Amino acid sequence: MATFLVILHGLLAVALLGSITHQAVAVVWPSRSKIGFANAYRAVSSRVYVNANIALFIAVATIGGVVYPTYRVWIRTYLENARLFSAVGSFEVKEQFISIGLGLLPLYWLVWRRAEPAGQSARTAVTLMLCFIVWFSFIVGHILNNIRGLFGL
Amino acid sequence: MNNNQIEKLVPVFSAAFAFIYIVSVELNWALFTYHPKIGQWGWLVEPSRDGPPMYWYGWLVTSTLGASAVSVITWPLLKNRPTQYWLGWTVPLLVMISVFYFFRDFFLR
Repeated sequence: MATFLVILHGLLAVALLGSITHQAVAVVWPSRSKIGFANAYRAVSSRVYVNANIALFIAVATIGGVVYPTYRVWIRTYLENARLFSAVGSFEVKEQFISIGLGLLPLYWLVWRRAEPAGQSARTAVTLMLCFIVWFSFIVGHILNNIRGLFGL
Repeated sequence: MNNNQIEKLVPVFSAAFAFIYIVSVELNWALFTYHPKIGQWGWLVEPSRDGPPMYWYGWLVTSTLGASAVSVITWPLLKNRPTQYWLGWTVPLLVMISVFYFFRDFFLR
């Protein structure tokens, strides 16, 4: 069951990664032209990603929370015995970032709900912060999931 | 309280959530503890019963309740002011930076 949930967690994380990266690029580097792949990628309506990103973030974090005990009991103990403290620390940082990201979701929803000029900097900042959190968490999770192969353990 | 007024509380909630969360982590203010090896829950911070205890769920609940309380308490100060969007992301950003400092020991061993 834990294996199934980890795979589902990873697949939803891929969807979230693509969605929030697409939105973040469109926010910081918008384009009016849709000619060519790069312009078309940047020319999307950022607002349409908001609800999907919120739902995916909550789903990924919830499934992560369900499989977390397996990591805490078995994987972390293994990593500590292998003296891979950087790997353990990376997961700890990921855990805190995800929590902060959960707290940011209401603000993310609010700043995208209305296109008020007063909220423009917050809109950009919150989107980029969530994008960073998702990328950081995805990379850390991916490395930990494959750590035995990566470190030849 | 209408929707526009409730929206003024949202940046305060996000800022308070991040701040209370990192304080909860550092001071271990978990509202409950989970013992994953034996599948048992306990109130507040408990030492290990068997295997490592988990406080993360407790920190999240502490932060959610704390941030909700801060939002309500600060409401009289905010209701006649414009929405403080900046507050909602600057505090979490500073907390994110501080996370690297608080967890530096893992990377310096």
